[in-house]
Amino acid sequence: MPRCATFLMLAAFLLARSLAGQTQVSGVRDLAFGIVIAGVPTTVAPTDPVKSGQFYLRYVTGGRVRVRLTLPTTLNRVGGGGTMPISFRNGDAFILGTAPGSVPNPFNPGGMLNYRFTGSPDANLYLGGRVTPAAATPSGTYTAPVILTATFF
Amino acid sequence: MSKFMKYAVAVAAATSLTAAAAQAQSGNINAKATVLAPITIAQGAELDFGNVLPGVNSTVAASSGATAGRFDLTGVSGANVNVSFTLPANLTSGANSLPIGSWTACHNTSASQAGCTGFTPSAGTTSANFVSGALYVYMGGTVSPAGLQPAGLYQANVTLNAAYF
Repeated sequence: MPRCATFLMLAAFLLARSLAGQTQVSGVRDLAFGIVIAGVPTTVAPTDPVKSGQFYLRYVTGGRVRVRLTLPTTLNRVGGGGTMPISFRNGDAFILGTAPGSVPNPFNPGGMLNYRFTGSPDANLYLGGRVTPAAATPSGTYTAPVILTATFF
Repeated sequence: MSKFMKYAVAVAAATSLTAAAAQAQSGNINAKATVLAPITIAQGAELDFGNVLPGVNSTVAASSGATAGRFDLTGVSGANVNVSFTLPANLTSGANSLPIGSWTACHNTSASQAGCTGFTPSAGTTSANFVSGALYVYMGGTVSPAGLQPAGLYQANVTLNAAYF
């Protein structure tokens, strides 16, 4: 193999290892609807400072990320015995960089988002949504996971 | 190595570089909610001052007596509830008003005034618990008829608001 190819391979390896050390995706806060009355739909706005879900992403300033959320369609009663629909609409999520003057970038959480880290190497993604419990929904705690998959470039 | 081969190796290496730079990570949170059956509120008894005399204050105690008002609430056993009131300043009879000088209240998890927990309904929100799925709220107060209070039947609505917390 020529030296230039070997060098490129080595560079690729080192770059991948270097970037892997700089990327971070973590869940910060659950999307918490709190107490919901059976038969009464309840909405949480992504701007809600307490109830909205929150993820933290970190890469490098100027880097790009493609974000995809795996969203549930129902919440499941802990211990079994019931489900409750949950839905998301366009604008129920936004990503916001941490640099001063960063502007929220709203998007449909059911789709994908391409984001560039501008002015800072990290950002927060906020998620809202709505649950529509039926009148006969059994009392109890309902939950389901929300997964954020981020591909960094 | 031919020029073509060198180019192919370089492209393969560059492709590898790009692929190595794109990497996926994931993070999790939960969506969660607590479903509770709706609170029901029923009128258990009216707050009845009975016959009052002009110029003589009349008081009904919340914690005793059959003329206290009562709200009957049901909710999920063990759930916390906040209770607040919309209280009239006067009872009215047509254009005439009969001032209510003060309000008293107490709540209990059984339909009994004995041992009920007193609170001031005009003070804002009061917290309680549906220990076994029921809550009874008793109301009392004092009316202050004027010396020249016109005769008549005076009444007004008292509204109780309840919400889980």
